[in-house]
Parts: sequence; structure tokens; C-alpha cells
Amino acid sequence: MPDDLDRRLDQWASAQAAPASSGVENKVREMLGASLRPVKPLPPKWALVVAFANVFLIGAGFLLFFMQDDGFHLMKPWQMVLTTGVFSAAIVLFASYLAASMVPGSRQGVSLKWALPLSAVGFAAITAALFPWRMPGAFVAEGWPCALMELEVAALAAVVFLTLARRGAIFPSPGLGAAFGGISAFFALTVQQYQCMFQQAPHLLIWHGGMAALLVAAGALLGAFLEKRRAA
Amino acid sequence: MGERPIDDRELRALMTRYQAADPAALEELVRRISPPLARYFSASRFGRAQSEDLLQDCWIRIHRSRHTYRATEPVMPWIYAIARHTRLDAYRRYRRLESREISMAELPERPAQTPAPADDIERLISGLPDSQREVLVMLKVSGMSLEEVARATSSTVGAVKQKAHRAYETLRKALGKDREHA
Repeated sequence: MPDDLDRRLDQWASAQAAPASSGVENKVREMLGASLRPVKPLPPKWALVVAFANVFLIGAGFLLFFMQDDGFHLMKPWQMVLTTGVFSAAIVLFASYLAASMVPGSRQGVSLKWALPLSAVGFAAITAALFPWRMPGAFVAEGWPCALMELEVAALAAVVFLTLARRGAIFPSPGLGAAFGGISAFFALTVQQYQCMFQQAPHLLIWHGGMAALLVAAGALLGAFLEKRRAA
Repeated sequence: MGERPIDDRELRALMTRYQAADPAALEELVRRISPPLARYFSASRFGRAQSEDLLQDCWIRIHRSRHTYRATEPVMPWIYAIARHTRLDAYRRYRRLESREISMAELPERPAQTPAPADDIERLISGLPDSQREVLVMLKVSGMSLEEVARATSSTVGAVKQKAHRAYETLRKALGKDREHA
């Protein structure tokens, strides 16, 4: 049974301003009618996730074909399977979030609040558990070129992912930026994992993982900047 | 309470025809969707003049992003998600104007608190946090379901329920206090 608050809220709701004047509606019709052209709707969500996954598979495979493959020779098969599995799962999580974000009012199957910590913990746990905790001799000298390479690969991947998503993602936000940063970072992490010759946990966590975290943060900042610019 | 005279199946068909550049579908969509959108902007702390500006801005955004609508999805959450961004961007614009200390005379019209609250419930609702007020407006004024509000706000049904619950609790407490003082 509706209580007093419900009754007052209903009164408030029904007292809201009268609908827009017909003049405004006519203006809108004229304005939009002048630029009315057929448009092709976005593909279904699953097709977008598959497209993101294909970019990952084909792009990473293509880059690895031309880059060094020291990591491939140094890793044991179970290390390869488990790291690739975790990285691929992270890619699918971010791809699902991005695919849902491309359509306003779409049901968010994957929350970024879960995708980001899950993928970060997955990476840290698998690296800490599977790789030796040996400190390489020249930690910094060997580390920064890896981080730089990861940045370059991620930037390249980000361009491809953004091109793929250019028709959607119409409302930039820190979350969307972080998701683009995340998917590009995991793309680069996968490539780096297979080409890097320093397969030790401290190196992987600090130089590979650290750069991935920076990429997510940079994506979030870029999203926030674009969101502010949109409002201007 | 907000009414839902709009049948989603009809709207989906209209949206599909709109995407195919049918001018009659555009006309019909503007006729059906503009009134609830105007009420939404009006109830979201904007005056009537501003609500009409926002309505036009919202329609331009709807038009530009009409390719993102999929016929398998409900229409109103898609529309309100765009309307929500329109409203948030308007807030940000006003905040920026205020932070630049432009004289009040130059401001187009302040959102929020500008119009004197019509009665105590209006005043109490004005005092709610924006996220709670937004949920209340969508549920009560726009007559949307919890699922639709969750979609429109990129949230979950649980989070929407929680915000609505908190808004109700705050309003109940405030109304109780008002009665004690009376």
C-alpha cells in the first residue's frame, strides 16, 4: 500500500513541467530531417567481442612473427599455456566491457570494477607463482627497454582497437579510457611475454606489469580529458 | 506518477525505420519521445527554457548516434542513456562557467536550486545527492523500471535499488523531522 512519501512523490512527479512546446519539436524535426540518411547499425555485442579477440590473435601473432621470440624458447609449455590463458581472459573481459559501452543503455555484463582488479591480480598471481624470483644483474638497464617496447606495442594496439571501436564509444569517460588502456596493455603484455629474454618474476612484475598499470592510468586520464572537452 | 504510454515494440520498429532514413518514423519518434525527455530534463534541476535547449541538444546526439541502437535492445534505456550524458555535460558546462567567475548576469540560467522549490518535497528532493535524485527522477517521473534505469545509468539493478532505497530513507527522515518542527 502506498505510504505518505509515495503519495507525495507521485504528486511531485505528475507536477513536473509540461512537455516541450510544439515549436521545439518542429525545430527538432526540421533540423534532423535535413540530415536524415540511412545508417548501418552496429553489429551485435558478441560480434564486437569476437572482432576485438581477432585483433588480439592476429595482431599479436603478426608482431611475434617479426620480433624476437626469446620468451617462447625460455618458457616451459605450462608457463606458456597459463600466462596466455590469463592474458586472453583479461582481453575478453575488457573486450566485453568495451562492446557493451559502445551501445548506450546496454546491459553491462562485465563491470570495470571487477575487470581491472581481476586482470591485475591474475597477472600478478600467475607471474609470481610461475616464474623464478631471481633478480637479474642489471635490473634497470635490462628493464626500461622492455617497458619502452611494451609502450610502443600498446600504442600500436590502441590505434587498431580505437579504429575498430570508432563507430561506438560515443561518450568518452575515464572508465572507457581505462578499458582501452587495459586491452592494449594486455595485448602488449602477451607480445612482450613471448619476446622477452628476462623471464624472472621481478622483471615481469615491475617492468611489464608496471607499464601495463601506467597504460591503464593514461587511458583513464585521456578519457577524463575527452569527457571534459565534450562537455565544453 | 510517470506514465509509460510508449510501447517498446512500436518504438523498436520506429527506430529501425529511423535508421533507414524514414522521415515519418523520425516525426513519430520526436512526437512520442520529446514529452518524457522534456519532463526528465525539467525534473533534473533545469528550468523550462534550459530544458528545451537540452531537449534539442539531446535530439542532435540521438541523431548522431542512431547507428549505435540495436533492434534487439529496448529503446528507452538507449534514449535515456544519451539524455543522461546530455544532462551531465550541461552540468559540467555550468560548473566551468561558474568556476571562471563569469558574472551571474552572463550565466544563461543556473541549474539546480534556481527555481524556488514548489513545496517541501521538491526542496527535499533538491537536497538529495545527484545520483539518488537521478534514479528517483527516472523511476518516478519517467516511469522506468529498475532494469531500464540500470541500463540507462550503466549500472546494475542492485545499485539502482540501493540508491532508490537511500533516497527514500533520506526523504522519510527529512519529512519526519519537518513534521516534528511543525
